[in-house]
Amino acid sequence: MTVNPRPVLELVNLSKTYGRRGGGVRAVRDVSLSVGSGEVYGFLGPNGAGKSTTIRMLIGLIAPSAGEARLFGEDLRAKPEVLRRVGSLVDGGNFYPFLSGRRNLEVLAKTQGRGADRIEELLDQVGLARDAKRKVKGYSTGMRQRLGVAAALLGDPDLVILDEPVNGLDVAGIQEMRDLIRSLAVDRGKTVFLSSHLLHEVQQVCDRVAIISKGEIVRESTIADLLRQDDGLRIEASPTDVAEAALASRWPVEREGDALIVRAGRAEAPEVVRRLVGAGADLFRLTPEQRNLEEVFLSITQPETDDA
Amino acid sequence: MLEALSAEALKMRTHKATWFLVWMFPIALTIIMLIAIVSGGAGAAPPGQTAADWIENTSIIWFVPNNAVGRYLISAFVAVMFAGEYGWNTWKLIVPHRRRTSLIGAKYALTIILFSISFVLTAAITTGLTFLNDVVTDSPLPAGVGAATLLDAHSKAALAALAPVLIAIGYASLAAVLSRSTIAALVIAIVATSVEQLIFNFGPQLSVHFASVVWPLYHALPGHHIANLAEWIREGAALKREFPGGHVVSIAWTTSAAVLIAWIAALWGGTLAAFKRQDIN
Repeated sequence: MTVNPRPVLELVNLSKTYGRRGGGVRAVRDVSLSVGSGEVYGFLGPNGAGKSTTIRMLIGLIAPSAGEARLFGEDLRAKPEVLRRVGSLVDGGNFYPFLSGRRNLEVLAKTQGRGADRIEELLDQVGLARDAKRKVKGYSTGMRQRLGVAAALLGDPDLVILDEPVNGLDVAGIQEMRDLIRSLAVDRGKTVFLSSHLLHEVQQVCDRVAIISKGEIVRESTIADLLRQDDGLRIEASPTDVAEAALASRWPVEREGDALIVRAGRAEAPEVVRRLVGAGADLFRLTPEQRNLEEVFLSITQPETDDA
Repeated sequence: MLEALSAEALKMRTHKATWFLVWMFPIALTIIMLIAIVSGGAGAAPPGQTAADWIENTSIIWFVPNNAVGRYLISAFVAVMFAGEYGWNTWKLIVPHRRRTSLIGAKYALTIILFSISFVLTAAITTGLTFLNDVVTDSPLPAGVGAATLLDAHSKAALAALAPVLIAIGYASLAAVLSRSTIAALVIAIVATSVEQLIFNFGPQLSVHFASVVWPLYHALPGHHIANLAEWIREGAALKREFPGGHVVSIAWTTSAAVLIAWIAALWGGTLAAFKRQDIN
């Protein structure tokens, strides 16, 4: 995907505290990030980490306690009109249950001050053309989600913010959503900011990710860098204690059964071998160990979620 | 603003609350009057009926906002209009796309437009059916009933109904935004209206025991001022209420108008201010 460094979305020390200052709860703390034009940016975090609060601040639903959200270079609080260039899906799509899917989009189009000319095309695109006349209260979770995507794209926005866009979708729906997100960025040059707990999906569609835990950004990088940083070597050596002692002084080492996981890159494999041999340990197997995003995510957030 | 109003109208025109709480007035009155005419229950006009009596019969709808039950019904619609968005969770759909002032303004405007249409329609239907009843029962139209006198009387009645409608809207909208619940908003609006009516209707009796509380409340709450303004509009004189000890409450229409404007500004302004500051989680 072609990424333009010009930031479409910038968060600068964005914070949100609920309650009184003394005993308030800080839901989001000094979150800073920047998303470039044409980028697909993933926002990850365990439940209660502050993802939804951050997204709600981005679309003007929640006022930040401190910090700044800038969209297309404009301070959101000073110029909320900039949200006309933003489409969003939060909470799996919120609609008037007594109106049909089409009528809901008509209401939204009128609220946005736009014509209804794109509605049929979008209903068709999200696969709801045949159900457009039905009242939304009869829609399944997946149908609401798809209507939510149509609503997010109604104004042909430059920035699309999707909060858990694949919730409630079946396997085919997830595939379609993945393709849609890709095509938004690749074919139509849109910027996509999405949160999801389905890390496999995020890994497949995002250029960069930020991981938020307990209201703070704990890691931000490209997917490739994130996985590379967490590359390791799986070692089977004996005696294990001797091997561990020889390596732990140089690299982080974790035990996994009888094996050792050494947080060292492939280029450092010869040095690992030399140290093991030097310490008198017998090496039986050395293989590269690459974590997937889910494992990296858990390693970053698990200790904190355990505390919670 | 017009776009927000158009969206609001598109949304609410098919909602049950609009049918039950707005169009109910012309529909119910038409059905009741038609049944009365067809069954002969309405009967012929009483002998000696004056033009003023005849016109007052046709303007019954304008008295609805002046009584508590009428205001409960208006409050119920406003509660659905404003608090419904919390229940449906749809503020999240529309708030990012338009200024909050405009969204709340559209709701106020649509409420006033819908009730205006409903009341004017009801008044027109009532007038037409009253005339039809006279034709069916072969009753003569009292001398002095004409388009000009009808319009004058209905305009004055409508003007007298304006303040209680706006106050009812204010109670319910503020309660809706603060409570974020349709039921809670309705209950709060009903309680506020009932307390106001209680103090107005039973102020002199209550002040025998609680004068220090009732006397200032009687002057501060909208109840007396609504009735006083209506009296000034209809009769051209102040409403007089006698309290124990010979105290007579008689207030200039300008004072009552100022108090009511302050109430409406506080309730509507409070709604807007609360909504503008509100986090939508």
